[in-house]
Amino acid sequence: MKREWLYHTILRTASLVAPGDQRADWLDGWRSELWYVPRRGATRFCLGAFRDALWLRRNNPNPRPGIGIHVESPLSCLGLLAILAAICLAIMVHVPCAGLESPGGIGDFARGMAGMLILSFGLLAATRAAMGRSGREPHPMTWRARLRLGIFLALKIALIQPILLCGLLVCSALAPVGAMGLWAFWALPCHWVLKDQQRRCPVCLRLLTDPVRIGSASRTFLEWYGAESTCSRGHGLLHCSETSASYAGEPEWLCLGDSWSGLFSETAGVRQR
Amino acid sequence: MPGGPRLSHTTAMILQAIGIGHIYGYTVMEATGLPSGTVYPALRRLERDQLIRSQRERQSVADAALRPARTYYRLTRSGEAALEASRKRYPLLLKLASAEEVQNK
Repeated sequence: MKREWLYHTILRTASLVAPGDQRADWLDGWRSELWYVPRRGATRFCLGAFRDALWLRRNNPNPRPGIGIHVESPLSCLGLLAILAAICLAIMVHVPCAGLESPGGIGDFARGMAGMLILSFGLLAATRAAMGRSGREPHPMTWRARLRLGIFLALKIALIQPILLCGLLVCSALAPVGAMGLWAFWALPCHWVLKDQQRRCPVCLRLLTDPVRIGSASRTFLEWYGAESTCSRGHGLLHCSETSASYAGEPEWLCLGDSWSGLFSETAGVRQR
Repeated sequence: MPGGPRLSHTTAMILQAIGIGHIYGYTVMEATGLPSGTVYPALRRLERDQLIRSQRERQSVADAALRPARTYYRLTRSGEAALEASRKRYPLLLKLASAEEVQNK
């Protein structure tokens, strides 16, 4: 009986993995089963609950909208990054090893940030080269659209700098970060920034939605297979091939003409059903 | 195995355990020797694939026996067919002790 709290704590912790709308029933079921389990193997039994909860989460027929919804529009994406950057700056001000409280600390910090920004732009170019080119446009984009895309990308890069620096300071305070760790610290956010950029509509900068699989891997003769995503405002479709064939290697953006506008709601930004 | 799903050995063992009367999650674990992290997700998967059907025991029945209500499982028709096909594929499944045999030990 002494270890009852341990079993219930394990189950309660595992329940956090289960989807919220099924959590109570799931926990109730596991607690009922635990009653029948001999105490000798109860800890092992309870640890299995994590796999069950994970299965339930992965196979949830009604998943809750995740962070993708909150960063769908470019403003909400920048807003979220700005909030995170502000939190990280606040943390750095209160971390003694950051040295911001000393008189020359702010100047050093600004120089450090500028250095990081240059490093990030350099790494971004390298990451982009490693990932391949972003979607090519059969329809040429206007200079305004290109400028908007460029400004959005630059703002994202600038806003992740305080987050990167904070993460680096906190991690180096906990354990020494080697060269590989340092590279991962920059490369992973740069990869996310580029991936996010590629998954956005070049016209309205909203995240593309409704990815649909097209074709099959076993039938690639004169056909491509991959995924097609749609702009929720009806500006176009993005085709991402899963093979790098000569005819379908890079993501391809297809503009939709005005004749498609009837299928999309301009006000809500969602497709009419 | 035309027309029926090809089950893994583990899944077939769980189906066989239910088929021979181990109708609760924990009794399936005892009969098969599989850990809870394998059995419970497999039961959910089998139920999703409509090979088994789960039912929660009535609370009044559980209350009368002074214990919590349990979920029990039954094979569906397609589950029985899948089990029959699996028995041909894995003949050792028949060695699994039934619930009655376990109780008599």
